[in-house]
Amino acid sequence: MINYFRLWYRYFQVEVLSIPSRVIALIFFIVIGALPFFTQSPQVLRILILAGIYAIYAVSWDLLAGHTGQISLGHGLFFAVTGYIAALLNLHLGFGPWLTIPIGALCAVVVGLIVGIPALRLRGFYLALVTLAFPIILTGIIFIYPDFTGGELGLFGISRLSPSRLTDTYIVYVVMLFSVFIMYKLTDATSKFVRTGLVFQAIREDEISARKSGINTVKYKLLAYSVSAFFAGIAGGMYAHFLKIMGPSTLELTFSFQAVLWAIFGGMGTIYGAVVGVYTLFPFMEVLRFFPLGDEIRGVLFASVLIIILLFMPEGIGVWVRDKIEITCPRCKEINIARRKRCRICNAQLRLDDQSS
Amino acid sequence: MGTPLLRVEDVGKNFGGLSALSNITFDIGDDEMVGLIGPNGAGKSTLIRIITSVLKPTYGTVKFKSRDITGLPISDIVNMGIASTAQIVKPFRRLPVISNAMVSCLCPRIRRTGDWVKSVELRARDALEFCGIADLALESASVLSHGDLKRLELARAIATEPELLLLDEPFGGLNQAETTLIAKSLRRLHKGGRFGRLHSEGPSMLIVEHKLADLMKIVDRVIVIDLGRIIAVGTPEEIVRNREVVKAYIGKEEGQLVS
Repeated sequence: MINYFRLWYRYFQVEVLSIPSRVIALIFFIVIGALPFFTQSPQVLRILILAGIYAIYAVSWDLLAGHTGQISLGHGLFFAVTGYIAALLNLHLGFGPWLTIPIGALCAVVVGLIVGIPALRLRGFYLALVTLAFPIILTGIIFIYPDFTGGELGLFGISRLSPSRLTDTYIVYVVMLFSVFIMYKLTDATSKFVRTGLVFQAIREDEISARKSGINTVKYKLLAYSVSAFFAGIAGGMYAHFLKIMGPSTLELTFSFQAVLWAIFGGMGTIYGAVVGVYTLFPFMEVLRFFPLGDEIRGVLFASVLIIILLFMPEGIGVWVRDKIEITCPRCKEINIARRKRCRICNAQLRLDDQSS
Repeated sequence: MGTPLLRVEDVGKNFGGLSALSNITFDIGDDEMVGLIGPNGAGKSTLIRIITSVLKPTYGTVKFKSRDITGLPISDIVNMGIASTAQIVKPFRRLPVISNAMVSCLCPRIRRTGDWVKSVELRARDALEFCGIADLALESASVLSHGDLKRLELARAIATEPELLLLDEPFGGLNQAETTLIAKSLRRLHKGGRFGRLHSEGPSMLIVEHKLADLMKIVDRVIVIDLGRIIAVGTPEEIVRNREVVKAYIGKEEGQLVS
């Protein structure tokens, strides 16, 4: 038994403790999880919950666009579909959140497959334009049947996710951890167990080449769409049950662009980048609300911060930080702490300029 | 002799008003290395693209093992056993070289049940070793030189363990020593056998190439295309002496095709 734990600890040491970015991720998640022990002010918890929900949403966009290369500018669609279906099931049939969110997410998968069909033929900007159109269609449907869908006002009176805000925080936290971990594993090209990451990235790099390698790209693209839609849907369902209101605002273009913004700000094509983007930009915006500034000034401030950061960190803030603290061994490609001189695995020199000194 | 492995029947392709290929008919046997030559713009690459279904022919059919494969999806054709390399290399640039070859090893054709990613990686490594770029396995494909990318392209094709290999200028961008090496490897692959975990049943090959001297040494039969038509078929010795071929290449009746 002791040996068994020792083995796990050893595994933990090799896989997490010796790689700085993973240590930081670990510390980050522990801090997020421990924050409610220090403060339980409703504002802080609200920021934490919404950031968790948006993190799932942004990561699901990153899975689709950053890893599979299917740029989607209407990602709010999946978010809203689940939100609305969860709200309707809850209001009309009285289902609890434990039932409405999974059902809604499965409906989002169906919608994802429907959106995925034009994606089989289109690429790049043309695909982006088509995905832009789908939320507009759903908005139209919602406005046509205002009695059933609430129209412009939206649906309200949805039951809470859980009795208290504190438990809400932890539910969202755990769901976020699991979803992000699953999506990280699904898109990891170096994974020893899951092949999808490699295929997704091959499709992003060159679709014709992937097909010429005998990969059925249709299958994998639809898989990417459904996985992405599923997790965006889970985020949407939790959003509806947390705010207890579901309106058409999530179908707006700005909300779809939020996901793009967060993922690119943190680092596109890396799952952690989207999480970093959400957990820096979203609290930043919320904190600005405490100051007596106009909406316009806040917008200007936000845009300037965005421009400045992307000017100096064009690959995103997450990737920039990672490059500062890690160095990849030129020989064995293992990750080392940046201040090391020699690789911890193969003892090769990590930098050339060390030779002269 | 039974049905040929690949039969191209009366295939033609028009790009708008331009007839790139017209009435191409030929067979490739079960155990044959065929060269496909012709001057620039003759339609060689178009023909390869039609066989691999990247392009659809305007008319005509392509049959593989007496089954019509015209217009099937590219991945289905690869899974039936036709692998091809492109003239313009298109690797997955941001992935490591080994991952490039691993993608080919993931195709349903050679995926065995119970295969874990580790064994797939070993098979991909054997494909790289066969092409002589195993030392670059961990590098990103974007740092490779053109010659190495050509070899990577070949490695990706043979990693699917094909029965018919279509090579579009495999020697392009390689120097003389490398060309000889790859030519030898191709001949060895054609004989068949096991290369580590990689199994070769001795694929038939169709090789498009401009380096005629090297090509003529390894192929059994040569097909010459000019302006979208087959102008000559024969053994390398016959082709070199064929007046029409010499004229198509050099422009005059006299001259030496291969020095």
